[in-house]
Amino acid sequence: MTEHHLSEDAELYPLGILDDDAARNVELHIALCSDCAQRVAQAQAVAASLAAALPRAMPSPALERRLRESVRPRQAAKLRASLLPFALAAAFALAFLGLGWQALVLRERLQSDDVALVTMVHSHFNHVSMAPQSANPVAAKILYARDGSWIYIIADKPGGALHAIARTASATTDLGALTSSGETATLLAHPRERIVTITLQRAGTNVASAKLTY
Amino acid sequence: MDELVEAFAERRPSGLEQAYALWSPLFLSVARHIISDRANAEDCVHDALLRVWRAPNRFSGSREMLKGYLVACVRNEALTTLRRESRHDARALKAARLDPVPAVDAPSVDPVETQRLQGALARLPEDQRIALMLAYYGNKTQVEIAKEVDAPLGTIKSRISMAMRKLHAELASPGGNRW
Ligand SMILES: [Zn+2]
Repeated sequence: MTEHHLSEDAELYPLGILDDDAARNVELHIALCSDCAQRVAQAQAVAASLAAALPRAMPSPALERRLRESVRPRQAAKLRASLLPFALAAAFALAFLGLGWQALVLRERLQSDDVALVTMVHSHFNHVSMAPQSANPVAAKILYARDGSWIYIIADKPGGALHAIARTASATTDLGALTSSGETATLLAHPRERIVTITLQRAGTNVASAKLTY
Repeated sequence: MDELVEAFAERRPSGLEQAYALWSPLFLSVARHIISDRANAEDCVHDALLRVWRAPNRFSGSREMLKGYLVACVRNEALTTLRRESRHDARALKAARLDPVPAVDAPSVDPVETQRLQGALARLPEDQRIALMLAYYGNKTQVEIAKEVDAPLGTIKSRISMAMRKLHAELASPGGNRW
């Protein structure tokens, strides 16, 4: 569109080696001239390739959190505000379901786990009592998201270390050990695939199991 | 239009979040090559991305172009920070500028792309390759490069420009699109 297109500055600009006046001139020009904007874009792609050879640095999780809060400030605030009501609602739901003994544990767990909170606030959950197995079974219940995105296992008086084994349509995975706290042991997981059955094991013996329906 | 580019152009939060998920190691690596302090480098990435995302923009290009644009913004932000701080501490600037080309044994941001890049760089005429390497990996200004290789400024400009165009022709060729 202009008589004089950009000089070599179009290729130098993405490297950040122009002085301020020259850089500003490039910016003004490409705002109006699509030919030169195309040249600059191509040079930027080359500069990104040059960056591929730099030593790799991994960002901290805090950076992602900051960015997310910067672009979703209202949602972050809304979510925090919804923390307490949800925890209370969960506690009531559990009491209603006859699960009073873990309500407190769940509430504490929720407050300490943002990820769980985010997913739980935005989804509905199901619950199931696990069927006792073996001579020395354990009483346990499972809360899980209807979309399969999280699962929360609560065992009463575990009587030793408990392990949760999950079976999906394609594989069997060890979800790890439940964490004991007082009279209960709990485990929160975010499975990649929808879990079909959960089995709890104590010292390699099955002590409870449940089928999950969605 | 590419879904990510569209989300970014419309300034939906998911646009920035997706771009971050795809390219954050690249962004931070670019910043840390210029600013060695991790926290300051992360500040640069944060500020640059947020500024771009908030400003009205008119992206209509490919995902690759968006990536190039964002990387350029992060690099600019880092260089600006470096130059601002260097007014207070000339030695820091000198140290950063003397920082050598990346050590060979450090893992690179993208090993596959690095391999393609090294082949393309090797095929450039030597004087063009040197000028470009000093500019990009040496973080030197055009004036400094001219002094270092003892050539007129105009010559340096055209060497770098030629090198960039040749690399574009090679790297953008079929098989070069990795998305
Ligand atoms: Zn033009």
